[in-house]
Amino acid sequence: MSPKKDVWQGTLALMVLKTLESLGPLHGYGIARRIEQTSGDLLSVNYGTLYPALLKLEQEGYISSEWGTSDNNRKARYYKLTRAGHKQLAREAHEWAETTAILARFLSKEQAS
Amino acid sequence: MSLRSTFTRLRNFFHGRSRSERELTAELQSHLDFAIDQNLRAGMSEIEAIRQALLQLGGLEQTKQSVRDQQTLPFLESLLQDLRFAVRLLRKSPAFTMVAVLTLALGIGANTAIFNVVHATLLQPLPIRNANRMVVIWVNNLEHGWSRIGPAGQDYLDWKEQTKSFDDLFLFEHGTGTVTGVGEPEQVAGLRVTTNFGDFFGIHPLFGRTFRLEEAAGRHNFVILGNAYWHRQFNSDPTVIGRGLTLNSEEYTIIGVLPADFAALFPSDVVVPFDTDWLKRADSDLGVFATLKTSATLDQASGEMNVIAQRIASVRPSRNGFGVVLVPLQSARLEYLRPALLVLLGAVGFVLLISCANVANLMLARSIVRQREMAIRMALGAGRFRLIRQLLAESTLLSLFGGAVGALLALWSTQLLTIFVPSRIPVPNAADKVLLPHIHMTGAAFAFTIAISLLTGLLFGLIPALQSLRCNVNESLKEGGRGLVSGRRGHRTRSTLVIVESALAFVLVIGAGLMIKSFQHLLDANPGFHPDHLLTLRIKLPNDTKDSPYREPRQQATTFQRFLSGVESVPGIQSAAFAEIVPLSQDDMDMGYFVVQENSLLSPDQRLAADYRDVTPNFFATMGIPLIRGRGFSQQDDLDHPRVIIIDESMAHRFFPNQDPIGKHLQIPDSTKPPREIVGVVRGVRDTGFDQDPRPTIYFPSLQSPDQTMTLVVRSSLPPASILPAIKNAIWSVDKNQPVFEIRSMDEIISGIVSAQRLAFLLLGVFAFLALALAAIGIYGVTSCLVSERTHEIGVRVALGAQPNDISRLVLAHGARLAGSGVVAGCLAAILLTRLLSSLLFNVSATDPFAFVGVAVLLILVALAACYIPARRVTNIDPIITLRHE
Repeated sequence: MSPKKDVWQGTLALMVLKTLESLGPLHGYGIARRIEQTSGDLLSVNYGTLYPALLKLEQEGYISSEWGTSDNNRKARYYKLTRAGHKQLAREAHEWAETTAILARFLSKEQAS
Repeated sequence: MSLRSTFTRLRNFFHGRSRSERELTAELQSHLDFAIDQNLRAGMSEIEAIRQALLQLGGLEQTKQSVRDQQTLPFLESLLQDLRFAVRLLRKSPAFTMVAVLTLALGIGANTAIFNVVHATLLQPLPIRNANRMVVIWVNNLEHGWSRIGPAGQDYLDWKEQTKSFDDLFLFEHGTGTVTGVGEPEQVAGLRVTTNFGDFFGIHPLFGRTFRLEEAAGRHNFVILGNAYWHRQFNSDPTVIGRGLTLNSEEYTIIGVLPADFAALFPSDVVVPFDTDWLKRADSDLGVFATLKTSATLDQASGEMNVIAQRIASVRPSRNGFGVVLVPLQSARLEYLRPALLVLLGAVGFVLLISCANVANLMLARSIVRQREMAIRMALGAGRFRLIRQLLAESTLLSLFGGAVGALLALWSTQLLTIFVPSRIPVPNAADKVLLPHIHMTGAAFAFTIAISLLTGLLFGLIPALQSLRCNVNESLKEGGRGLVSGRRGHRTRSTLVIVESALAFVLVIGAGLMIKSFQHLLDANPGFHPDHLLTLRIKLPNDTKDSPYREPRQQATTFQRFLSGVESVPGIQSAAFAEIVPLSQDDMDMGYFVVQENSLLSPDQRLAADYRDVTPNFFATMGIPLIRGRGFSQQDDLDHPRVIIIDESMAHRFFPNQDPIGKHLQIPDSTKPPREIVGVVRGVRDTGFDQDPRPTIYFPSLQSPDQTMTLVVRSSLPPASILPAIKNAIWSVDKNQPVFEIRSMDEIISGIVSAQRLAFLLLGVFAFLALALAAIGIYGVTSCLVSERTHEIGVRVALGAQPNDISRLVLAHGARLAGSGVVAGCLAAILLTRLLSSLLFNVSATDPFAFVGVAVLLILVALAACYIPARRVTNIDPIITLRHE
């Protein structure tokens, strides 16, 4: 098995936001699992960095949190996207798409020449 | 970090509002539970499931910490922690804290006090427009040794017409005027100015207006009041504008009142205008200021003005040989005090450095004791940066405490200082006196204290902090285990600090020693007369009005004669005389040319120059100026008898070498009067200052050349205050409207002249003493530290048979070695630095060998004394106890 890649710095927040958008309110473990699954288990989330990132997003007002109960009756803190969070996600997704597009164009040109 | 999250975190920090520890634990616990569930489902054993979950989280505590860090600002939080810890630590060792705080307070206090003086004098801009572009213009004549003399009105008019370097020129004359009609007749300080006065300085009068340019066309009796005078004499009455004032028996109209801060430039009571005719007549000793154009430099202006001066000389031959000197106003005002202040600024800087070195030493000594603590912290994972910050927090806290105490010291010593800083600066060679601003603690001084405290904290905190960086955790823990602390490396740093400290102290003490010696020379210098028990006061006969009886020279002479006989009859007075200018007073200047009639070597138009002095016959006796040859003046030397003069020794030497000047005749050019015969030679007088050689001087009998203003000199062994009323009454019994002014004893005059040197001498002495004491404390500290560190070794030595005296000698030798190195380093530094003192030194070389040797011996003696206590303690070391301690 090839070693998993760590989540690139700065992209974790974007992934968290996207996860919350597509899945609705979710607890920390759920977010981490979801990111790993979505990446086809190619990425591993360092859970140690996830919680500070969640706190940071909450401080910035993009997500909010409250205690809730899971399907199997466990208490957990659930995070959900705020209105500002939706906007931020759109903005960051757009930027990310632009960046990758530029990079892709750049790389393909390099190859062509 | 976004602004918003920073704000949230700051708020969290200050309100302690953050996600609670319990909540965080619960959240992470639920995370682990999910993970364990998942792992169990994947078929792991229970123990493996828990282990994997924890591994994946990357450590429960670490995660918690990184969340905590995100919650508030970790930097602020740990800084607060550091400070709290530092306070606890300092409270735990009150002796250390006290010594450190006091040491720093002395250094910081001295700096703040001197900063106050420098700020109030050198740094405070003048309250006028374009102060930094303003220059003073003097004329000079190097041939006659006149470095700066005030120009004549015609010079001013010519300059103003021809120069292109200046925006504007302004001319003024200091004088005095007699105000009558309000209480006692009063002689007030007057200023006569060109009518561009208000515009030139950008004055906004408190009330009324300043002069108008066109008012120069004719005579206008307008007067502007100085703020202090208006306050004193008119009770700050805002309705004075338009009222009359009797000045020199003429009616003037008050048109304005000056703002209070203008007194910083001209402390005059009344300001009156020049009209153009008067300006043309005003012959010399005027003051000229000019505003340099923004496009012109001082050098360019100076070049242009000297070209103009040559052009003027070709039109007016009397100006042959004269050049022009330009000096920026700001520096001209304080050039007399500046060297003293700069030296003092340097001195307090040294004191602060010594305090820093001392406290750094104390902290180093402590850091060696705390090496184990530091090693444990490092072993537990404290970053080096964090440790340095911890130490810096301690030092900064100490220095801020020191700064607080220092500010109190400064507050108190600033009040003391104002006694020694002259309030009025006599400016040699200029018809100007500078009034120094009142010195007090300002906001700037407090800001300075805080800044310097922080800087100090960094400075002395960094050395031990960097030292601790080099600490090897393993070694320290091992050494610590043995209960022995060795600090070889730390010791080298501390010895270096002490050497630096002694070197700095050496420089300061040398400086103080040189100043003391110089001041002694200055006070011992023979001014050419006996300065003790002399009282002087000035009288100006009001003769400006047409009907004044004093317009007639003969009348002036007889009036002063009548004043004199009145004063002479006052009981308790040994002798009294009038002189146009009293030596050292720097009230005025009078010099001129002469031609020696009998000297065939000199062509008739080759003109020699000398100081002119008009005196009454008793002047030489009253002043104690000995007559060397010939006779003195008598009452017969009046207008009805042949003109006679007396010259001084230096003139006799210079112009009559190997000849007897008695009986020779001098012709005064531009004078229709017959030549004057030299009838006597007197000893030379140092007229402009103790450090100046006597200048060629011609004395005229005042009966033959009367003056409007003269200075009364009275010799009496009674205190001035007790005879002054009788003297005044004697004068008023001749003319009840005659004011007397500038009442000063010769002692006061002299103390004004030596004020800069006295300031430097006193304060440098104080600072040198401080430096010496601090250096002694430093040497004591290092030596006793050494002794306590080497207790074990010394115990072994004693056990092996070393005599207590040998060991004491060892300790003393160590101290002497430190001080000796300091002396050598200090010597080198002093040779370079004392040169800066030379402008303040009189008759002492800046590298005076006696001072150097004396101070070196003193410093080593002080060092030995400082080592004495630790050396004594060594002899009490009991080898049994020290070895058992092992």
